[in-house]
Amino acid sequence: MKKSIRMALLGATSLALLTACGDKKETEAETQSDKRPAFASTYTPQPSETTLITNARIIDGTGQEIENASLLMTDGKITSVGTDIRAEADITINADGKYVTPGIIDIHSHLGNYPTPSVTAHGDGNEVTSPITSEVYAEHGVWPQDPGFDEALQGGVTTLHILPGSANLFGGRGVTLRNIPARTVQAMKFPDAPYTLKMACGENPKRVYGNKGGPGSRMGNVAGYRKNWIKAQGYKKKRDKGGDDFKRDLQLETLADVLDGKILVNMHCYRADEMVQILDLAKEFDYKVTTFHHAVESYKIADILKEHDTCSAMWADWYGFKMESYDGILENVPFVHAAGACAMIHSDDEKGIQRLNQEVAKTWAHGNRAGLNISKAEAWKWLSTNPAKALGILDETGTLEVGKRADVVMWSADPFTTYARPEKVFLDGALLFDKESGLKPKSDFRLGFGG
Amino acid sequence: MILLRTLTTALLFSVVASSALAQDYFISDAKLVTNTSKGIMENADVIIRAGKITQIGADLTAPAGVEFINAEGRWVTPGLFAPFSRLGLMDIGGEDVTNDTSSGDSETSISELASDSFNPKAVFVANTRRMGVTHAVISPSAAGDSIFGGTGAIINLSGAYDSIETPRAFVHVQLGESGTRRAGGSRAAALQQLRSALNDAQAYPSRYQGPEDGDALSRQDAKALVGAARGDMPLLISANRAMDMLNIISLKDDFKNLDIIILGAAEAWQIADQLAAADIKVMVDPHENLPSSFDSIGARLDNVVILDKAGVDYAITNASALGIQRPATLAQHAGNAVGNGLSWNKAFAAITVTPAKWFGLKGSLSNGEAANLVVWDGDPLNVTSAPTHMFINGERQSLTSRQTALRDRYNPTSNDTRPHKYR
Repeated sequence: MKKSIRMALLGATSLALLTACGDKKETEAETQSDKRPAFASTYTPQPSETTLITNARIIDGTGQEIENASLLMTDGKITSVGTDIRAEADITINADGKYVTPGIIDIHSHLGNYPTPSVTAHGDGNEVTSPITSEVYAEHGVWPQDPGFDEALQGGVTTLHILPGSANLFGGRGVTLRNIPARTVQAMKFPDAPYTLKMACGENPKRVYGNKGGPGSRMGNVAGYRKNWIKAQGYKKKRDKGGDDFKRDLQLETLADVLDGKILVNMHCYRADEMVQILDLAKEFDYKVTTFHHAVESYKIADILKEHDTCSAMWADWYGFKMESYDGILENVPFVHAAGACAMIHSDDEKGIQRLNQEVAKTWAHGNRAGLNISKAEAWKWLSTNPAKALGILDETGTLEVGKRADVVMWSADPFTTYARPEKVFLDGALLFDKESGLKPKSDFRLGFGG
Repeated sequence: MILLRTLTTALLFSVVASSALAQDYFISDAKLVTNTSKGIMENADVIIRAGKITQIGADLTAPAGVEFINAEGRWVTPGLFAPFSRLGLMDIGGEDVTNDTSSGDSETSISELASDSFNPKAVFVANTRRMGVTHAVISPSAAGDSIFGGTGAIINLSGAYDSIETPRAFVHVQLGESGTRRAGGSRAAALQQLRSALNDAQAYPSRYQGPEDGDALSRQDAKALVGAARGDMPLLISANRAMDMLNIISLKDDFKNLDIIILGAAEAWQIADQLAAADIKVMVDPHENLPSSFDSIGARLDNVVILDKAGVDYAITNASALGIQRPATLAQHAGNAVGNGLSWNKAFAAITVTPAKWFGLKGSLSNGEAANLVVWDGDPLNVTSAPTHMFINGERQSLTSRQTALRDRYNPTSNDTRPHKYR
């Protein structure tokens, strides 16, 4: 189990202390003169040609499936979708009845911060030095040469959210990336996507810190959240007031940004009862939990999750590797969806991310077998639409609607089968993977092992 | 009250009686995957009597007293055989006291039997059974300073207390990074531990005169390795790097009778011809395509396709993605091999008849064989399919489990308004 490996590595990685970066005035001055805030996105789409895909079976991510449809991509954007399109294009692709869908979005990935090869030196996803590390940013631990990015692209993943691990109550900031082959993480950052905060419930924090000063129980977990939200409230008040005596604090800055509604809370939580405790915690401090991750028991409280407009990012069939995941069922995603709550698939795994369509197909079929009647077009929302919504980027991607980024996958067969593979993957209208021509990215790491 | 008790006794008795006197079945109109020279038969009928398949063919006449199952043209196949798992060896992987897969502090290794740790009532057994798996290899893992996991078993997934089919089926040994670490820090040390152990087993019992005798193994472990050292049972070796596998091939120069199966074999495609020539079998996971470690830099999706072309004898596992704990996704991994170019028949054989034969079982459907079969609601290698009926040794199996009980309690289509704990 990958998770336990990650946790097992904790001891070793805890030696890699974060170098303290103070609140130096010079840094701010430099940044201003550069006119680009530090760590800002430098993402630029690859050059693209006007491309028309014809004769496709389009699942558009809004719940529609359209036969004999066409899709036009111009300057990286979707400019036309439908059955009655006549357009001139540099390139016309006859899909020959094949499925065309939005690019897949994985809201829970550790590509780059737990990259392959999984050597100790690559364990950059958990800052296991304190249960409160809201000052760290996942992007500072992301290695763009992780070969997993390239394979995920070939699985149709065009956008992904990289999170810190789940050792800490407050794990740090997550980052949303375009899955573009690049040399730097800045070049992958989704422009203007909101930051996220990773928090964790349950067994992990209390296991990791039980003998290191706590928390050592679920009681301690909740006390830890509350203490720090109280601190954040005080900090926010000072920050709002401003003045010379205000001193920047990276740890509280992240939490205050949550209280200001600028940062989306993504919380690792398995058990139903615990998720509802967390919803009460959020009420106490007036913030919103955007998405529960793993959420193996969301099916038990789908009505409450709907009421709170909180999403669940789930697996199709992972469960049972620890006590809090023991009650996993194969119908979790469709059951949450059927209750009218926001449901989506996630991988948390460098192999699972390559075939998220199969994970959705599996859980969709189990749901319908249990008596639901969900269409494929509706179930596709679990792959792109709902993760886009949860990451605050639905107005830019996640569906095939006019004006959005042309993040598009053409499949060899029905993506709700085991046998389908992406044939073409477009990111902002640029063809980045093409099975036919053999076009695909290759990490530096993979060069020169031929002997 | 007395009446009720009598009725209960009668019911109990009838359950016992029916399992002793197996019900006979007539399965009609099947798309039947036989895994024999008959291939896939359309519109086939199957008769199961006294636990065995007694007849397969078209338009058969049903004997009296059989229960009818109309497959309505759907797939009927041999039950899936999971080539490598830890089913029934743990309840919660993360809770040590419930996890019997390895024993780092014990004095023994090869002589430890996975079958002694096996619990057929562990919920993963029924949860995996309902996904079409009727039989599984269960294997302990290496721990402490031994490269040997122990002696593995073959079980069926009936969940019955008598479901161990072969208690001593193979010996598991780990080379690669895991074995290297356990042997003291180098591949050389791991390989030498393996060679010495095989020598100890070959020289057993003559080498063991005093309590300190044996180069690598204690008396009890040397005795437990004798069968595998003679080739009477497989030696299952975990390795991924091509060079490690070439060293395993060389091992056969000194120990000619070894029946070697390599588990993992991520870089096997690089040495496919040598593996075929040395008659070494491999278990591969068709999802392995990343350089997860420096042992598997060359991992690629079409590994199994290349092995097939070279004539290597291979089985398909789902070792990644929690598959070892719960091989429920076995069919998906075989399906992905098809997606990457392997033929359907070969991929299906790789999760049924191929590994079954390696461990002395059949894995096919023909007259006179134990009835281990599954009726599916679709193509068994497609992720959207699931079993509708299952038989193990001719007995109808339940396809319910703890997971289906939870599902039914929380099903949004339920009209039950009672509090959940009363449903």
